[in-house]
This record gives sequence, structure tokens and C-alpha cells, in this order.
Amino acid sequence: MYNLTESERIAMKEPLCQEVNNPYPAKVVLPFRNSFFLLITGMKQVNKALPRLYMVSNCRELSSPDTQLPELVSTITTHLPVIIQLREKHLSAKALYDLTLKLKAAARKPDRTSLLTINERFDISLATNSDGVHLPENSCPLARVRSAAPDLLTGKSTHSLKDAVAAESDGADYLFFGPVFETPLKKRYGPPMGLDKLETVCRNVSIPVYAIGGITPQNTNHCLKHGAYGVAAMSIFSSAQNLARTLDNFQSSLDR
Amino acid sequence: MKQQKAILCCITTDSICPVSQAEKALNGGASMIQLRNKSASGADLYSWAKRIQELCQAHDATCIINDRLDIALAVDADGVHLGQNDLPAEAARKLLGSKRILGISVATADEAKKAVASGADYLGLGHIFPTVSKHKSSEPIGLERIVEVTKTISIPVIAIGGITDDNVCDVLHAGASGIAVISAVANAPDPENATGSLSQKIHKCRQ
Repeated sequence: MYNLTESERIAMKEPLCQEVNNPYPAKVVLPFRNSFFLLITGMKQVNKALPRLYMVSNCRELSSPDTQLPELVSTITTHLPVIIQLREKHLSAKALYDLTLKLKAAARKPDRTSLLTINERFDISLATNSDGVHLPENSCPLARVRSAAPDLLTGKSTHSLKDAVAAESDGADYLFFGPVFETPLKKRYGPPMGLDKLETVCRNVSIPVYAIGGITPQNTNHCLKHGAYGVAAMSIFSSAQNLARTLDNFQSSLDR
Repeated sequence: MKQQKAILCCITTDSICPVSQAEKALNGGASMIQLRNKSASGADLYSWAKRIQELCQAHDATCIINDRLDIALAVDADGVHLGQNDLPAEAARKLLGSKRILGISVATADEAKKAVASGADYLGLGHIFPTVSKHKSSEPIGLERIVEVTKTISIPVIAIGGITDDNVCDVLHAGASGIAVISAVANAPDPENATGSLSQKIHKCRQ
């Protein structure tokens, strides 16, 4: 377990930004809930705030991903802090490695507020000195990844309260929970979970939860009100007619 | 890796449980198992790799994971084997440290030199003969390539591709330090016997 330094302890007690009004007080006192989250697990990320907007890549929606994806990443990271997850299961490790380096070069992060994570392949994350790894449902066990790559920001996809609680105890830094709303991409996970299940999960874990599945700027605030730390989306970024406006709308929903 | 004896590497195939393949191959005398599966989930790969690593330890054999360096690190396998479309060898070497094994697939003398410079511990050279295991667009490289590559390379060269009881001695005499097989064992009616037969051949033609 990482021991906090005195300055980090002080920082945690003094919120760095205005608290979001939470109408659903948690059962236990959670220092991070709906306040500025301070990541304390990895040495590299100490004292870094986790962005509330999360983008999952989908090269299949792009006609020339090698140039379009870096452009997309550049535009989004210029606009607001975001976590970007490179999730391209069809690519070879070499192609993933090369694309990761391109995204790292494209990401505008003067103050290092945006983060880049890789789906499942923590070896590629380590080899490219990226920020983290995101583990899908049927991944290599989280606890093993944690001990093999302790400094990486480590996230886990969950679809039930049981999975979420297990992922937290295995050492996840944050969770995805969903699908919260209807989404064509995630039909195989059955009907959407809805906001109530999202809230149950958020009440029972003390790490940030990103709502995923059918997320729009319009329903983002509902997710936050039900305890989500942030929102994650895939299609909306690559299919958005007016990306700048979509990002503005996300920003204002997340700030509200 | 034991280099005094010729290496007999059995590579798993997707259609059969890799743990039972490894078990039979090790019982038959394989000195190296390479877990290779391009479509399985991380959870499956991890549990197979963990079990195969344990089996290899019990048989004093080497456990190598194909492509998935993440899985190799997670189970603390002996090493990883990378093709030309996998993680770059230099990057893999850094993550593996000096104790774990790095194997690289090569087909030419140039690729071999590059792999050695990148920190490879052994090379997989092939495909030597026509093979049914993988759909290959390129022509087999033949025994002459083994001679050419092993002349300039000091690390072990493991020949792969179409190697059977009938040609294994030619491959070793050409300079290979060992052989790797997929279908010769996996598709055999009795994989344990097939491995045993190859192992005996290797021992005899080395004498």
C-alpha cells in the first residue's frame, strides 16, 4: 500500500475545486467521492486529477485511422482534459505500439492532465511509457496486472455490483460500469443497467466509476447525480458532426 | 535454456486444449513449450500459461509465451517469442530484463542479425520446409538458409516449418540448435509418442 506524504494528506482534505452537490450521500465517508480525485496508487500519477471525460477509441469507424485518430486525440485534448483508451483488438501488437506512439505525440497535455491508456495490453503501455491499462471483462486477472505493472493507472470494465466490488478489492484505480443506457455496440451485454444500478455500484465502491453505454452530453449530468465520477463514450466522438460543440456540451454537463 | 542438448520446442495449436498438449509433449520429452493462441481471451491465456509454466518447471523445461508479453510478465513465464508483427524486440528486451528469454522469428540472415542486435536470446528460423500448420504466402527457405544464418550468429537457432522424423537430422546437421514443431505433434494420433520419437531422433543424429 502506498503511504501518503504529509502534503498529499493535506491536499486530500482540502478540495481543490468546488464540490459537486451530491443528493445521494454515501453510506460511508468517501474522501474522493464527487470531489477532485487524487490518484494515490501509482508513483507516476501521484497528485494527478483523473479527467472526468473518457474516450474509447474505435478505429473501425474511421476511414484512415492512422491519421484521423491522432487528429481526433489532438482536438479533444486541446479542448479539455480526457482519458483516452486505445482499444483496437484487431490490430497486431506492432501496429498498436506504433499507433500508441502517434497518439502520445498528438495528445496536447501541457500540464499532463490528459491520460493515455491501452486496452488489456499493459506490455504496450509499459513499452510506450503510457499512463495506464484498461482491462476488459475476460482479461488477465487484475491483481496479477497490478503486481506486474504497479505504476500503471489500472481500470476495469464491470457489468455487475459483484464485479465492481471485486475489482476494487483487486486494486483497480477506477471502474467502467455499464451499459447504463441503450447502445447498439453493447447489445451482447443484454438490456441497459439504468441509473439505479449505476448508483448502487457507486455507493458500494470508493474508487471513481465512469458510466458507459449510450452516454451523451445530455444524460451525463444524470450519471453524475447518480454517483458516477465521470462518463465514457466511444461512438459519439468519431461520429460527431461538430466535435467542438459536442465537447463544449460535455464540458458544461461535467462542470454543472 | 539448456544448450548442451538440442532444443525440442512444441508450439500449441488453437484447436486443442493447450495445457493437455503441453502435458503430452513434456511427457514425450519436449524441452520447450510455446503457448501460442491468437484468439483466446486474456483470462484463458493467463490460466493456461500459469498451468503450463508449472508443468514446464516440473519437467525442467522452458515455458515461452507467443506474442503476449503482458501474459508472460503476469505469470512470470521463462520468456516470450515475438514475430515480426509483434512488439518491437528492443522494447520487449527492456521489459523482460536480462533473466527472461526473448525469442524472435526470422526468415532471412538480415532479420537474424537485426534480432541479435535487438537483444534476442534465440531465433526461430523458418519456415524451412513446406508446412500445413500456417498459411504461408512465402516460399520455404530450405536447409541452405540454416547454414547461412548459423554461420554468422552465435545464439541458438531453432528451425521451424515442416520438420518431421525424416528430416530432423538434416536440420540439425545444417547448424540448427534445435527444432520447433506444431502439427507434427499436435496433429499426431498420439502426441506423446510423436514427441518421444522426435526426441529420440534428435538424440541419435547428434551422436
